[in-house]
Amino acid sequence: MIRILPFLRRVAQSLSFLFLLYLVIKTAFPLEIKIPVDLYLRLDPFIAIISTLTHKGLIERMLPAFGVLLLVMIFGNFFCGWFCPMGAVIDFFDRILFREKKRTKPFDDQPLRRFRFGLFIFSVIAGLMAFQVMYLLDPISLITRTLIIAFYPPAIYVFNHLLPQVQSLLPKNPFIVSSIPLPVFKVNLFIFLFFIAILVLGVVRRRFWCRYLCPLGTLFSVFSRFRFLKRSVTDECTSCQKCVKECPVGAIPEKAPQTYRHPDCISCFNCLECPPRAVSFGWERPGWKTESRVNLSRRYVVGSIAFGCFSALMIKTNPLQSESGLKNNRLIRPPGALPEAEFVAVCTGCGECLKVCPNNGLQSTFLEAGLAGLYTPRLIPRIGYCEEFCNFCGRVCPTEAIRPLSVEEKRLIQIGVAHIDKTRCIAWDTDKICLVCNEQCSYHAIVGDEKKRPIVKEEKCTGCGICENKCPVDGESAIIVYSSGVQKKLKPENSNNNKSS
Amino acid sequence: MDRSLGKNLSRRQFIKGVAATAAIPLMDGLPFYGSLARASSDADLVIAQNGSPTKLLQAVMVPMGGMERFVKKGQRVVIKANIAWARTPEQACTNNPELLFALIRMCYEAGAKRVAVWDHTCDNYQFAFARSGLKEAGQKAGADVLSGHGRNVYKQVDIPKAKKLKTAEVLKDVLETDVFINFPIPKHHFATELTLGMKNLMGIVWDMEIMHKIDLHQCIADINTLRKPDLVVVDAIRILTTNGPKGPGKTEDPNQVIVSTDIVSADAYSATFFKNPKTNKPFKPEEVRFVKLAHEMGLGEIDLGKIRVKKVSAT
Repeated sequence: MIRILPFLRRVAQSLSFLFLLYLVIKTAFPLEIKIPVDLYLRLDPFIAIISTLTHKGLIERMLPAFGVLLLVMIFGNFFCGWFCPMGAVIDFFDRILFREKKRTKPFDDQPLRRFRFGLFIFSVIAGLMAFQVMYLLDPISLITRTLIIAFYPPAIYVFNHLLPQVQSLLPKNPFIVSSIPLPVFKVNLFIFLFFIAILVLGVVRRRFWCRYLCPLGTLFSVFSRFRFLKRSVTDECTSCQKCVKECPVGAIPEKAPQTYRHPDCISCFNCLECPPRAVSFGWERPGWKTESRVNLSRRYVVGSIAFGCFSALMIKTNPLQSESGLKNNRLIRPPGALPEAEFVAVCTGCGECLKVCPNNGLQSTFLEAGLAGLYTPRLIPRIGYCEEFCNFCGRVCPTEAIRPLSVEEKRLIQIGVAHIDKTRCIAWDTDKICLVCNEQCSYHAIVGDEKKRPIVKEEKCTGCGICENKCPVDGESAIIVYSSGVQKKLKPENSNNNKSS
Repeated sequence: MDRSLGKNLSRRQFIKGVAATAAIPLMDGLPFYGSLARASSDADLVIAQNGSPTKLLQAVMVPMGGMERFVKKGQRVVIKANIAWARTPEQACTNNPELLFALIRMCYEAGAKRVAVWDHTCDNYQFAFARSGLKEAGQKAGADVLSGHGRNVYKQVDIPKAKKLKTAEVLKDVLETDVFINFPIPKHHFATELTLGMKNLMGIVWDMEIMHKIDLHQCIADINTLRKPDLVVVDAIRILTTNGPKGPGKTEDPNQVIVSTDIVSADAYSATFFKNPKTNKPFKPEEVRFVKLAHEMGLGEIDLGKIRVKKVSAT
C-alpha cells in the first residue's frame, strides 16, 4: 500500500492535468459539454474568496470552491499534491529536469517562508483595493491562461502543418479539409516566459513556486492548520533524513524529523516510505500549534499591508485607471461584461473566454487597460468580431465578470458603435461599389445611401465589429468600432420583418 | 533556390518544359468549355413548380435528361451551396436543407463516388453550418459538408478570360472535381442588386474582399469564366426580397426549382423574381450588371426569348 501511494499520486496528478487539458480543448464551439469547462477555476477557493469580496456579492458559480476549502480543513491540504494541475506540471518538470541536482546543502528558508505570507498579504490587500496582482499568481488561473494563450496556438500551428504531410502519405484523399483557423494572441510571449520562469525556479528547490509563492497554497496552508488527518512518528525513527529529503515542500525540519509543519504539508505521503516504518498518518485532535512557525513580525505584516495599499493607490492615481483619466475608447469589453472598474476587479484573466471566442476576437490586454487590467479580455474586431448568435464568453466565465446572457439578451447589448472613416472608405472615397459592411452587418445598423455609400445607424449598432473585421481596405479598417463606455441595452427590433409577405 | 533548380534541370526536362510552354497559346484556340459537349436535351432551362422540394427536384431533372446525364458512375461531385450566413432555413438566406438533401441523394443515385458540399462562409463557419441546418442535411445525405475557411484548400490560378480579376485563389476541389454543380439561392443584395448563381461563385474564392476593391460586378463575371458549372440548380423555394444578402428580411415563396447548364440564362430567369426599386417592375436581366457583363463576355444567353424554357409541375 505504501509503495503504491507515490504511484497513485502521480496517476491522480496526470489525470487531473489531462482532464484540465480536455476541458480546455472542449472550451469551444458548440460548447455542449455537460461538465462546466471552467470546473477547475470554480473549485479554486482563492479565486472564490477574492472575487466574492471584489464583486461584493456571492457568485453562484464559485460556490463549489468553498466545499474544497472545507475538505482541506478536515483532511489537510490534499489539493496541491494530488489535484493541482500546476503542481502536476511543476512536479513533472522537477522530475525530468532537476532530478540530478543535489539539494543537500543546508537551506534556511525562513526568510522565504516569511516572504510567502508577505506576498500573500500584499496581493490580497492590493487586490481588494485596486491592483489585481493576485489573479496573475493564482495557479489555476495561471495554468489555464498559459495553456490557452501560450500553448494552444502553437499546437494548432504544428497540427496544421503536420496534417498535409500525413495526408500526403494516405492513399489519395479526394477532399482536403480546411486547416483549423490559427488562434493568435498578442501577449503570448510574456505569459510563456512567466510560466518558464516558474518552472526554472525548481532549480533552487523542488516545488519552489508552491512552497514560497503560490497564493492558493498559502491559503490552504492557513486553512489546513486545523487538519484532522495528521502525521505521527514513533520512537523507531532513526533520524535517517530520508523523509526530510523526500518531502517536496520541505515541511519536515532536518533537526527534528519526528515533527513536521502540518500547515505546509501537502499530503503527498512520500514520507511513509520510511526505512524503520516509523511514520503513519491518522486522525488527531486539531490544534493551532505548529512546529517552527513562521516568524511573522508585526513590522513585516504592517509593511506588507502598507506596500499593498500604496501600490493600489499608484494604480488609482494612474491616468489609465483613474475616473477622470484617459479613456481608451478602443477598449471594447465582451458583451455582458461588468462596468470597467468592477470588471477588472472580478476578472481573473484565466483566458477561458479567449479560448471559446469562435472568431478569436477576444484578446488579452497587456497594458491597454492599465496594470490592474492586465490579461483581461477585450474585443479586437480587426482580428475577430463578436459572433451574432454566440454567448459563449459569458457561459464560461467562472467569476461572472462577463455575465451569462441568453443569445437574445446578448444580441441587444451595445458594446460599442461603429464609425466610418470617409477618407479611407472605398464607397465614400471612390465611386466603386463596396458596401461589404452593410452586407455583413447582422443588425441592419449600416444602410447605404442613394449612391450606395454606407451610413451607420447608431441606435441599432451593437459594436460587434463584423464591419471593421471584413472591411476590404488594407491595414486599418475604414470603419472602426469605438467603445461606448458603459454597455447599453438596445431596444428590441420589432420582429415584423421576419415574417414573410 | 532558383539557381539550384536550374543546375539540376536535365536537358530533357528543359526541352519538355519549353515544348509545354509553347503549346499553351495553341490551346487557346480550343473551345472554352470543351467538356460541355454532352447529349442535349429538349430544353435549356427547366422550371418546376408546385410540390415539395424533393418532388420539385425530381420533376425538374426529367426534361434535363436526368442526373445521369451529368453525373457518371464513380465520379466526384462538388456542390457549391450557399451556407454563407448563420441564419435559419425559414429566413431564406441560405439554401433549403431538404433540397440539398435531395440533390445529394440524386447524385449518389446517379452513381457518384463522393459528393462534397463547399462554401466559404461569411459568418463564422461553425455557426453558419449549424444554424442553416445544411451541415446536418448534407451529412445525413452522405456528403461531406466542407468549409473553405483555411487557405490550404485553395489554389492560385490565372483566369485567362478575365478582364480585371486576372488571378485568384480558388477552391482546389472545384477545379479538380469531375462534376461541378452550382446551387445558388436568389436573394436581394444591396450592393449588386441581386445575388444569383454567378455571385454564388464568389464563395469559391479565398479573398472575396479584394473583388470589392477592383470592381465587384466585373470580378463576378471574371470568376465565372474559370470553370463553368456542369449544372446550375437554382433554389427558389423561398427567396429573400429585402435586406439581402444577410437578412433577415421579407421573403417570398415562389416554390420553384430552376435547372440549367447555362448560368447566365439561369440568372436571367431568377432575376425576374425580384422587383427593381427604380422601375418598380420585375428586374430585367440586363439591369443586373454582372449578368449583363457575363453575357457580353460570351458566358451564356441573357435573352429569355432565345432560350428554350420548359415548365413542369411536380404534382
